[in-house]
Amino acid sequence: MEPSRNIRRQPAWHVFASEFGEATLNEKGSGEYDPSFVITRLGAKVNRCLVAGLLERVEARETSSGQTMYQGQLRDPSGLMYFSVGDYDPESARESILGLSRALEEGETMHVMMVAKARWYQTDEGAIYTSLRPEEVVRIDPSRYSAWLARTANATLARLDAYERSQSVVSEGPAAMKQAGIPEHLIPGLSLALPHYDGASVEQYRLHVLQALDIAEGRMDAVRSEPTKLPVHGSEEGDGDGEGAASGGGSDDASDVMKQLIATLDQGQGVDYETLIRNMGARGFDAGLADTTLDALFDEGSILEPNFGWYRLVE
Amino acid sequence: MSDHPYGDHVALVLESCPDATEEDIVKAFRQYEEEFFIPPQDAMHSIIRKLQVNTTPSSAGRSASGGAKRATKPMRKVERLEELNGDDQNVEITVQVVSHNVRDQTVRGEQRTIAFGLLEDQPYDSSTPSTRWEYKDWAPKAELRAGSIVRLEGASVNEYQGRRSINVNKSTRVVVLEEGTAPVVVPGEPLSIADLPKEGNVCVVGRILGIRPDVIHRRDGTGSIDVVRGRLADDTGSIGFLSWEPLELDVGQLVKIDGASVRTFRDTPELNFGRTTTIEAYHDAAFASAEDLEASSASTIADLRDGARDVRCVVEIHEWQRRTFTRDGEERHLWSGQVADPSGRCRMSAWDELPIDEANLPVTVRLTGVRVRAWQGVPDITVDNAEQVEILDSTPWEENIDFATHSVDVDFDELAEGGGRVGVSTTGLIVSIRDDSGLIQRCPECRRVLRDGVCQDHGAQDGQEDVRLRLVMQGERSTISIFLNRESALALLDTDIEGLRAAITEHGAMAWVQTLRARFLGRSATVRGRLLVDERSSMFMAEALEAVEEDGALMATEARAQWEVA
Repeated sequence: MEPSRNIRRQPAWHVFASEFGEATLNEKGSGEYDPSFVITRLGAKVNRCLVAGLLERVEARETSSGQTMYQGQLRDPSGLMYFSVGDYDPESARESILGLSRALEEGETMHVMMVAKARWYQTDEGAIYTSLRPEEVVRIDPSRYSAWLARTANATLARLDAYERSQSVVSEGPAAMKQAGIPEHLIPGLSLALPHYDGASVEQYRLHVLQALDIAEGRMDAVRSEPTKLPVHGSEEGDGDGEGAASGGGSDDASDVMKQLIATLDQGQGVDYETLIRNMGARGFDAGLADTTLDALFDEGSILEPNFGWYRLVE
Repeated sequence: MSDHPYGDHVALVLESCPDATEEDIVKAFRQYEEEFFIPPQDAMHSIIRKLQVNTTPSSAGRSASGGAKRATKPMRKVERLEELNGDDQNVEITVQVVSHNVRDQTVRGEQRTIAFGLLEDQPYDSSTPSTRWEYKDWAPKAELRAGSIVRLEGASVNEYQGRRSINVNKSTRVVVLEEGTAPVVVPGEPLSIADLPKEGNVCVVGRILGIRPDVIHRRDGTGSIDVVRGRLADDTGSIGFLSWEPLELDVGQLVKIDGASVRTFRDTPELNFGRTTTIEAYHDAAFASAEDLEASSASTIADLRDGARDVRCVVEIHEWQRRTFTRDGEERHLWSGQVADPSGRCRMSAWDELPIDEANLPVTVRLTGVRVRAWQGVPDITVDNAEQVEILDSTPWEENIDFATHSVDVDFDELAEGGGRVGVSTTGLIVSIRDDSGLIQRCPECRRVLRDGVCQDHGAQDGQEDVRLRLVMQGERSTISIFLNRESALALLDTDIEGLRAAITEHGAMAWVQTLRARFLGRSATVRGRLLVDERSSMFMAEALEAVEEDGALMATEARAQWEVA
C-alpha cells in the first residue's frame, strides 16, 4: 500500500565546492519530468544541494538572447561554487541575489547559504563544468555557517567512508554494497561514479573536511592571521597600521599595496579575490576600498583577470 | 631539504609530531601552499593533526577522537545498577545476562547487527533483590549469552525518557565469570518470535500466555469449525496463534512448535497450526517466566498494527463520546474517543457501553483481547464488549500525559517512508520556505485556497482570509511537506493576525517570506503534529514548529568522533 511518490521532492545534498566542482558525470532520465543529476566522485547523486560560503562576487551578464543573468561565486573552505540566476529562475531568488549584490558593492562581507539546483554544461572543447541555479538564498550569520560546515563535513565523511567501502564490492552490485554497510541512499550514485571516474582524491577531500571542521570549531586564529612571511609594503605603513592606515591609506597607497600583494602571492595561477581583500584588510584597507582599488587597477590595465575572481599583474 | 621557506613552521610541527620526518612536513607545507593556497601558518594546524593521526597507533588515535572528556574519565566501579547515573560512562559492573537477542537495525542509515536484552545486577548476592535493566550491545560479542554472569568493563549508561539502560560499546570489555546455558540456535532451528517471517513455515519455541476455544462460522452458512486461539511468547515478543486441531495445552506451558505456518492478516502475523504441525513440551530452565513474558507482551500504542487481535494494553482515555445511529431499523450506539499512552496517541471505539463518566476524564483502563483497525495508517482500538475493559486507579507510567501536547518522537526518514500517524514529532532540516506562505484566501464553500480569487470548483469567490505556512523539511534521504495553520504559524512568529498583516504590508509578500527564510532556512527544527498520507503525497500538519539551536563547534566535534578523524 506504499503510496506512489514519484513526484517527491529531491532532498538537498550537503556538498563542499571541491567535490561538486570536480564532478563531470551526469544523468537525466528519459521522461519529460525526470530529474537530472550531477554525480560526484564520492557518489553524491545531486539534483539539489544546500551550499554556503563567503559571497565573493556577483556580476550581471547580458545573454545572447538579451536577458540578464547574474553570475557569482561562493567560497567555502574547499574552493569555489559558481552560480547563476536568470529570468527563468524564481523571482525571490533573483531578488535575493540582487540585494546581496548591492550589499557586496557597499563593501560588506557576508556568508550566504543557498538551496540550489545542480547544473552542468560542456564547453566546445568537451570540458564539463558544474554550476548552481539558486532556488532560495539567504544571508547567514557565522553560527549558521559553522553548523552548515559541520553538517557538510559530516555528510562528506559519510560519503568518504562509503566510497572506501564500496571499492571492493561495487562490481558485485547493489545487494553486495548494502551488505558491505553502505547506506542505501548512497548506493545508486556510487554505482555510477566508481566505474566512471578514475578514482577520487580522497586525501584532498578529507583535508577540506578537516579545514571545515576546524573553522566550525572556531579554530580561526590560524586561518585569519596575517601571513608572517609576507613583507608588509613600506615600513611606514607597517609600523603605523591599525587605526592610522584605514584613514591615512589613500588610494595610491592602496594601489601600491595591492600590486605588491599580487606580486608576492601569485604562484603562477594568479591571486584570488578573497585572499587579496583579506590581506588588504590586514593592512588597514577596508574591503570596499580594496575592491575599488582592484577595479581601478583593472581599468588602468595594471592587472588581468585570467579566470573569474583571480588576478595577476600585467608583466 | 634546506631550500624551503618553512623553517620555523617545520620546527614547530616537529615539536608536536616527533615521529614525523622533516621531508614529509615540508612536502605537506608545499602541498598546502601550492594546491590549496594556504600559507604555512594557516596549514600548520591541519598538518600536525594529519601527522599525529598517521604516526600514532590507531588505538591512541581513536581515544583522542572521542574527546578529552571521555578519554580522561576514570573507570567507575559499581555493584548495583541503581548506583549509576544517566550520564555515567566507563562503568564496571558484574551482571547476569537474563536474555540476549540479536537484531539488524539501521543505525545512522547503516544496517548493523546489534544485540539487546535484559541484565540483572548482584548475581552472587541472593540476599538482596536484583535490579533488571535493558542493555544494548552495539557490536555483538560472543561472550554475552543468556544465563552468563559477566563483568562489563567500560560500559556506559543511556538514559531515555527517564529510563536508564546499559550500553555495551565496541570498546567495552566483557569478562565471562560463569558460562550460561545459551539456547541452541542453529540455522533451521527455532526462530525467535521477533524474527518470524511474515509468511512461511517455521519452527518456534515459546510459552503459552493465553488459550481459549473459539468457533469460526463458515461464510456460506454451512456450519462452523471449532478452533483454538491463543498467544505465544518468548523474550523477543509475542504472537497470536490459531489451531485448526484440538489442543491440550495450559497457560504457562513451554512448547516447541514445528511446522507451523505464519499468515499475515492486514499488518499482523499469526501462527497457524494444522495437521502437520508437531507440538511438544520443551525444557529450558533459562526461559523467561510466564509473568515476565506477560508483562512484556503488553502492547504500546506505537506497536499497534492494523489487523492485530488479542491485544493487551493500558491506555488513558482523554475524550469519550456516544454516537447513535440506526441499523436495520434498530437504534444502536457506538462510543469513541481519543486515548494515549507514553508511546503515542490513537482513537478507540467501543460497541458496548463502558463504565466511563465523561466528566471524570482522563481515565486509565487496561484492555484485554481487543482488536485494532487502522485508517490512513492511524490505529483505532476496537472494544467489542465491556468485559475487555478494566478501569485502573492510576497509570502504570509515571509521567502525566498532557494530551494537548503529547507526541512521540519518530526518526525523520522512518516517518517519511511510513504511513499516516497522529501525535508524532520529528526533527529535520528546513530546506524550503515556499513563496505562497503567509496570508491566503480560502473558498467560503470548500475551504480550498483560491488562486487569483478563483476556486478550482466554485469559480470566482470572495475569499476568507487565513494564514498558512508551507515548508519543506528533509532527513537523510527523504523530504516531507510541512503545513502550519493560522494558529501554529502565529505562535511560531510570535505575533497576532494584525501584526502579521502589518509585517506583510510593510515588506511586501515576497520580501516577507524572505524574512522567514533568513530566520529558518538551513536550520534544524522539530515539528509536532500529524502526518497524512494518501496515494499522491504526504503532508505533515504541524501543531508546532521549533527551530533547534545548533552549535556548529559541537557538531564538528561530534562528526570527528563519529568518523574517528582527529
